[in-house]
Amino acid sequence: MITLDHASRWYGQVIGINDVTCQITTGITALLGPNGAGKSTLMRLVTGQLRPTTGRVTVFDRKPFANPAVFRKLGYCPEIEASYDDMTGREFVTMLAALGGVGSNRLKDQVAETLQQVGMAENAERKIGGYSKGMRQRIKLAQCIVHDPDVLILDEPLNGLDPVGRRDMAAILTRLAASGKCILVSSHILYEVEALTHNILLIHRGRLLAQGNVHQIRSLIDAHPHRISITAEDPRRLAHHLLDLPYVLSVRFDAARAGWLEIETRSPEAFYGHFPDLVAAANCPISSFESPDNNLEAVFRYLVGE
Amino acid sequence: MPDLYLLKSALRDLVRVKKLSAAIILAVLPALIALAWRLDGTRHDVDLHAAYDALEGALVYGFVLVLLSVVFATGVVTQEVEGKTISYLLTRPVPRWRILLDKFAAALIAIILTTSVASLLLALVTYGPADLGKSHLARDLAILPVGALAYGSLFLWIATFLNRPLLIGLLFAFGWEAWVPSLPGSFQKISLMVYLRALAPHPQPTGESADLNSFLANTLAPAAISHTLAHWVLTAIILLALGLAIVTFSHREYLAREDLD
Repeated sequence: MITLDHASRWYGQVIGINDVTCQITTGITALLGPNGAGKSTLMRLVTGQLRPTTGRVTVFDRKPFANPAVFRKLGYCPEIEASYDDMTGREFVTMLAALGGVGSNRLKDQVAETLQQVGMAENAERKIGGYSKGMRQRIKLAQCIVHDPDVLILDEPLNGLDPVGRRDMAAILTRLAASGKCILVSSHILYEVEALTHNILLIHRGRLLAQGNVHQIRSLIDAHPHRISITAEDPRRLAHHLLDLPYVLSVRFDAARAGWLEIETRSPEAFYGHFPDLVAAANCPISSFESPDNNLEAVFRYLVGE
Repeated sequence: MPDLYLLKSALRDLVRVKKLSAAIILAVLPALIALAWRLDGTRHDVDLHAAYDALEGALVYGFVLVLLSVVFATGVVTQEVEGKTISYLLTRPVPRWRILLDKFAAALIAIILTTSVASLLLALVTYGPADLGKSHLARDLAILPVGALAYGSLFLWIATFLNRPLLIGLLFAFGWEAWVPSLPGSFQKISLMVYLRALAPHPQPTGESADLNSFLANTLAPAAISHTLAHWVLTAIILLALGLAIVTFSHREYLAREDLD
């Protein structure tokens, strides 16, 4: 449905995306990358707001830029919080449904159904200016799906949603995907998209670094040396026990930080599995435990060889 | 149906408190000045025609019309771009030219309505309800939409390709348009206002109302331009500017300034 063929986009000297080639078909695909990675640029190319500087972007084999034939089958939920704040939610969705080609005979019912679907029926008569961030996300989703498009492009739709909102949003998207829609969702948080899909495009500094299953991405995290910082009452005694574990590669202390130590492991999952028992057996209480590598930034640094 | 919704939403935006208040102030301003001038006890031999012409020419045509055209016509594009709401409109299956023209139509309605009310109130205050028929009000009401279209189209086009069209528009409106018509010879023919004044002349007043004229810097000697030429030139400018606006809007990428930065 969506094809990028060596697509690049530059803003003057600044890179948006660089030589991206990929295909996105039915189901949910997550576009994962840190802020500034080029996710929004890619989405603006797909939604025909921008043209590629070089390469080709097509949706249903057509160039999307200012192309109503493509927009008939496309729904876009932008990242921006800005909206028509003086309109009520219902007016906003109704206007965009009308612009999306919903006929006057179906307009009222379709808007009502969509508002119900996204959980905004009760707040539909309130002005958007008074909405919370979560409500704005829901109303943006409503305008995106109200005209029943085949392709949905959602830029950071989970931003600002509370856990219930995330669960609801995931349920809606999963249902839409099951009905044969092609859904591209961007995010900069790995665990967010893990709940949505296993199909991931990993983008960093405008380049597509990896494409595939979320488990493969997870294994990339787990494959590179993984640091874990611990603060304990007796760090040297704890280190002694930790070094007995075969997958602990090194232990480091910091003279400036009392009780602090950092270990490096190639098997974080195994380490996390054994660590509670080890602490209990060694009778060595700990007060903090964190991993600076257990995030997307670390994967990107690893993948680009930094 | 999309056109109706676009027009409705654009009109609704124009009656927001801030914009509506500004429009009301601009609509009553000429009448208030005329009222103050009439109440001035030192002026006994007031020439009503001259007073009306001076105020209509300087304030309604030279100020209210031009200012509203700059603000409302450039706002058609910039408000959506800077508000970042343009992505909602440009990703819907409505040709871009229709989006532009629908929103421009709303801006035109607002400009024409405000300037017409300003003219009507000015004529009422100057002549009084009984003598309204003696005024040039009917002619001015007929020409104001032409002026709104001409200035509006021009500023609309500017807004489709400039990132800060309001500033440029204001400089053009109150720099170029105020200065060029004062130039000698044929130079004044490169100003829109000269052609509008050929269609709706507002000659300089004589007698006491001349004081008012000197106070209002924007009253000018009528240019030697025929009605026919003025009609042709204004029509050509409207068509050209609208055409260029449509072409530019249909092909340009629109991103808010901070996104470009």
